[in-house]
Amino acid sequence: MGFAMNDEWIKTNTFHYARFCDLNQVMAAKEKKGVTISLCLPTLNEEKTIAKELVILRSELMARYPVLDEIVVVDSGSTDNTRHIATSFGADVYNADDILPHLDKFKGKGENLWKALYITKGDIIVYLDADIKNIHHRFAYGLIGPLLLDNDIKFTKAFYDRPIAIGKNKIRPTGGGRVTELVIRPLFSLFFPELTQILQPLSGEYAGYRAIFENIPFPIGYGIETSMILDIYHKWGLDVMGQVDLERRVHRNQDTKSLGKMSFAILKTFINRKVQLNLIDLKNEMFDEMIQYKLIKGRIEPDIFRYEGHERPPIVEIPEYREKFGIDTGPQH
Amino acid sequence: MDDYLQRLPGFVDVIGSAMETILTNILLIGQIPAPTFQEKVRTAVFLERLADFQVDECTTDGYRNPIAIIRGTSRAKPPIFVVAHLDTAYEKTVDHNYTVKEKTISGSGILDNSVGVGALLSLPEIFRRLELTFESDIVLAGVIQSIGKGNLRGIRHLLKTWSTPIRGAVIVEGGELGRLNYYSDGMIRGEIICRIKKTEGQAHGTKVNAILVLNQVINEILELRLPQRPRSEIIIGKITGGIKHGVSAQEAKLGFEIRSDSDKMVRMLHNDIKDIIDGISHEYDVDLGLSTVSNVNAARLKFNHPLVKAATQVMETLGLNPVSEPSESELSIFLSRKIPAVTLGVTHGKHYLDQYSTMAIAPAFKGLAQIIGVIMAINNGVCDER
Repeated sequence: MGFAMNDEWIKTNTFHYARFCDLNQVMAAKEKKGVTISLCLPTLNEEKTIAKELVILRSELMARYPVLDEIVVVDSGSTDNTRHIATSFGADVYNADDILPHLDKFKGKGENLWKALYITKGDIIVYLDADIKNIHHRFAYGLIGPLLLDNDIKFTKAFYDRPIAIGKNKIRPTGGGRVTELVIRPLFSLFFPELTQILQPLSGEYAGYRAIFENIPFPIGYGIETSMILDIYHKWGLDVMGQVDLERRVHRNQDTKSLGKMSFAILKTFINRKVQLNLIDLKNEMFDEMIQYKLIKGRIEPDIFRYEGHERPPIVEIPEYREKFGIDTGPQH
Repeated sequence: MDDYLQRLPGFVDVIGSAMETILTNILLIGQIPAPTFQEKVRTAVFLERLADFQVDECTTDGYRNPIAIIRGTSRAKPPIFVVAHLDTAYEKTVDHNYTVKEKTISGSGILDNSVGVGALLSLPEIFRRLELTFESDIVLAGVIQSIGKGNLRGIRHLLKTWSTPIRGAVIVEGGELGRLNYYSDGMIRGEIICRIKKTEGQAHGTKVNAILVLNQVINEILELRLPQRPRSEIIIGKITGGIKHGVSAQEAKLGFEIRSDSDKMVRMLHNDIKDIIDGISHEYDVDLGLSTVSNVNAARLKFNHPLVKAATQVMETLGLNPVSEPSESELSIFLSRKIPAVTLGVTHGKHYLDQYSTMAIAPAFKGLAQIIGVIMAINNGVCDER
């Protein structure tokens, strides 16, 4: 079966970061809109990369060009020096468990991003992974640019050519995006062909207006990027989204088993969303365990990864959030 | 004490307040691979950064050295050059992404010469924060094709084609803080390649071994009598050769450097090595070739030159103990053109020669204050007195 999809989006809503490299123009647009901008770095043992991200972003987008109003680090309980280093380089550092402490505690990137909504003040939130080895301030201003200079775009997502760091100090020039090509793209092609125009739906760098993020649920773990796209697409349509070419991003390579776990979480999130949106019926509950195998002393042993798929509700439904941001505290649905 | 010297200790804290910008410059320039002869992208970023800091003129010279000029207040005073070489010893395939820790930055080429270039890029912002202006134009030059086979081509071309007199120069190297280079040895850097002549019908050539031939060359070089005056030395620095353990090497290469404070002695030693090679080539019936990779002439400022004295005072005012050794770098080219110049190091570091070299962050603020002090000394006329 074919689908007559809107294939114009990729032409009209795809940008290159260089279009927004005039930071005076970005600042003027920010002033004109009268918005504030927060940047959040979710961390878990990122002592090797966090300082560099903070140095460059604070220098270029706070000290020299005040594009960002705050940078916060939300940490999942790092056991290395991440929090100490981040503090010493000027970030506001939070332990995720200490934010809205009366709620059940979960560990995961999605949890940190969701809680960041509570502690940040900005009208626009920029989320960057904290493990970007070749960090450059374009990662932030490239995502912010379309939000300020295009009145229709409310959410931006990065794409790039991702070299993989292999072995000791060597870079393989192309690669990455295996889960995207083997899992996400086939799923989007089967169910939401328009979304295939998003070139790297799993990229960890995105930005958007608070009004978008506060109204969507956040899965705790790997499924956050997939669910975010599906929810924004379902609620507001494709046209509020933009994607930005940030050119090159160097990241740590992950082994196939890790990618398998990631794929499991993404598939579960995706199928759950399909059920919630009444797009499919599931006759049986899905299981929570990804079963892989490993060889231990000549014996094959199961290696089980448990992913229950916990999800935070839209934060606008949390009374403390509504109170903090002065939102009408009437009954929520 | 001169007025500018009294101000120097106070500069350190102001420079420290620009830490994020200084480190960003080091990171953004250093993370771009720039092996010698492939500095194009780094050159572009160098100019972009300086243009972004509102430097008056940013351009490249005819050899594609990037230069930027901060205009001075007097048209009568010749310009002061601040120079750092852009190229590094690492290939593009090597990871150039640096690791920033609380007190250090590590990565390929950080000390040679990302810190130097990053410091140079930070000068316009530091001048602004210190509210410093100069009579002379300040020419910020990132020179290409400096190290190894580059043979200082970038700086040679820049100075050869610069049309006006130059008042003085500061060459900026990443480390080591405390170095004060004001003289250069004469130097010839050469390569000797041994190739075994192929004989038909022998799968692995003859039984002559290229590595053993070079070993003989080394032995005869070591037997050369080196005088104590003029001070001279021959350094055997590199050797490569062979394919696998069980096969006689058919080709081998030896890298060496002759240094002396006398150009004549350098030439004599070079001729001696040439004679050794001719002899061994004949004796062993092998192809033995000698090529020159780079060379510079000996040149120096005297210790009592006002620039050297001023640089020493600047360093001592900042609590630094000047250490002087010969330096065969951009300094040689300035001095051989009779332009007073010194080389200074920005900070302390370790593992200079490997991919995990590390710079210390905090000492760099004093290192930058020292560079600014010497620029101020030149602007005050210490190079004008002869």
